[in-house]
Amino acid sequence: MTDRPADDIAGAGRGKWGIGLLLVAAPVLLVCWLVIYPIISAVARTVWLPNEGSGSAFSLETYQFFFSDQYSLNNLYLTLWTTFVCAFILIIICLPIALYLRFSGGKLPAYVQGLAIFPMFVPSIVLSYAFIRVLGPNGTVDLLLNAVGLPKIRSPYLTPWGPVIGLVWDHIPLTVLILVSGLGGISNQSVEAARDVGAGRLAVLWYIILPRLTNSILVAVSFSILGIFSAFTLPYVLGPAAPEMMGPFMQRTFRELLDPTSAITQAVVAFAFCLVFGLFYVYSVAKNRRE
Amino acid sequence: MKRRAFMLSVGGAAAGMVLLPRMAFAAPGTIDWYTSSDQNILDFWTNIVKPKFEAANPGLMLNLVDGGDNAGLQAIAERAIAAMDTKTDPQADFFEGFDARQPVGAIDKGLWTDFAAAGLSNYSKINPLALSIDALPQNLPYRGSQVLLAYDTTKLAAADVPKTFADLIAWIKANPGQFIYNRPNKGGSGGNFVRRAIYEANGKDPSKFKVENYTAEAATAALDPAWALLNDLAPSLFDKGAYTSGNTQSIQLLSQSAVTMIPAWSDQALSAIAQGVLPETTGLVQLTDLGFPGGFSRITIPTNGVNHEAALKLADFILSEEIQSAVLTELGGFPGVSWDYISADLREKFKDVIPASIPVFPGGDWEKAINENWYRAVAPNVDPAS
Repeated sequence: MTDRPADDIAGAGRGKWGIGLLLVAAPVLLVCWLVIYPIISAVARTVWLPNEGSGSAFSLETYQFFFSDQYSLNNLYLTLWTTFVCAFILIIICLPIALYLRFSGGKLPAYVQGLAIFPMFVPSIVLSYAFIRVLGPNGTVDLLLNAVGLPKIRSPYLTPWGPVIGLVWDHIPLTVLILVSGLGGISNQSVEAARDVGAGRLAVLWYIILPRLTNSILVAVSFSILGIFSAFTLPYVLGPAAPEMMGPFMQRTFRELLDPTSAITQAVVAFAFCLVFGLFYVYSVAKNRRE
Repeated sequence: MKRRAFMLSVGGAAAGMVLLPRMAFAAPGTIDWYTSSDQNILDFWTNIVKPKFEAANPGLMLNLVDGGDNAGLQAIAERAIAAMDTKTDPQADFFEGFDARQPVGAIDKGLWTDFAAAGLSNYSKINPLALSIDALPQNLPYRGSQVLLAYDTTKLAAADVPKTFADLIAWIKANPGQFIYNRPNKGGSGGNFVRRAIYEANGKDPSKFKVENYTAEAATAALDPAWALLNDLAPSLFDKGAYTSGNTQSIQLLSQSAVTMIPAWSDQALSAIAQGVLPETTGLVQLTDLGFPGGFSRITIPTNGVNHEAALKLADFILSEEIQSAVLTELGGFPGVSWDYISADLREKFKDVIPASIPVFPGGDWEKAINENWYRAVAPNVDPAS
């Protein structure tokens, strides 16, 4: 048996290739027009700067400024810090939820799943103000603690932890969904077989489930990293004034400092980081396919 | 053709015709009105001005359109200029929250009505303060707002409230953690607090700052002392130097009793109190040595609108005591007319917020310099690790 699909499914005739290409042409053209072209144009606009005369010349001036400016670098560090902390916390929170949803029966998991998906339907601006009400100074948590005679919490509002909490909450649904779908690929038989030979719960998790889930975890982490890196509303409302995350920083540079070249430079830098995560994701998926 | 298919196609065609862009002609008697302002202003016009005006002027109607922002109105004004050249109907009669200095060259072309010469019966009632801020006769100031201090009277007695900026600084330092202002680019309340600090560091002289006198050296000389002043203040602010990201968030912190005092827009604070967002016990006070900056919102009227006469009638109506009192009571803004033309009991009720002077800080490069340098010089005072 070969690993090639049957001819009658994939089509053997040369003419059918044309139809296939035609079908993918529309999305490919859209991606080229709306994604690839803006990227090339953005990079070109930041390295091809107008010089004193009327012409323009190649220059890495804006990048030199970005990487020598401590303020910009602090913003970049904060963004990276927020992204990795969020990704880590997301996996810690979502993996148990996904395991529970996959391996338990009855009605309760349906409600848990509904609850886990709920954040997807809450706009971030609503979430931000609710966050201030609940976790902000003298918010609901403080009131509850006060009612039982406990001291107030140190509110994360306007500190780097504010956006972290908000972003984690916001990204729970996507992460849970990806992990649950990954867990769906693990057959009950393999888990039961391991149990039959005496594997404990942790052993099953470590030797049976996690190795098969690596790909889903990578996908989930990549998706949340890409989303969090470019987050705007939550860092804008909940985060500190400085350092800022790249999203609010770019927006401020563009709209309030009226400096599109610097804003695009920041965008290209952010894009370069996301590209690294993206390539990592593509590489791991491709590797997985080959196996 | 099956009956079902026939019904579907007829229904679809009918729906399509409804959706077709309607040929738009300005109807005589319907004033096409555009605003650049927020929802609360549009609500004010929809719920208060429109019914009153239409009741007082049978045959005239108001078509209230949200133009989005200043850029939106500018596009409509440019259309009006183009219509002027072709002598056609601009489909625009009235601009709320605009500046006749836009689009460039519009005044020279005669696009905007000169209100001083338009014979409005209420024109003489306009607050001289508003006209001294903006003397352009093509702008009609009709509502004002200014930043002032909002505070919690249960924690701070009205008698102890700081009345000068120096007192305010002393109060903030004596009560650490009880004051917060928002980032200057994220809302006018913090923005004008920062601008007032700039005045304070420059001899309290608003006339030193003009759009055209900006240079990088002047900015350094004028702004650096202000940043020093604000940095000195930072450890005494809420959370040892936190800054909210907008006017609303500052009001929220005051309402949650997390702070005792904030700078706030007068209209926003008054409507927050009216809606119960801020408690009845909220006090408002303006500094007496030099007020926080603010400004008046203006009306402009194109001369070539089909309903030019009716638009002027509306402008006159806006300046009447009835609407100007409503600006105060319903909108929480300042009237555009002198306070003498407001009923005595309202004058008494709002006496604390009646401005004697409204400094106006220039925009343009000054604004850019403030937005950039505040972030670099003042905002990073918090050690992110702490």
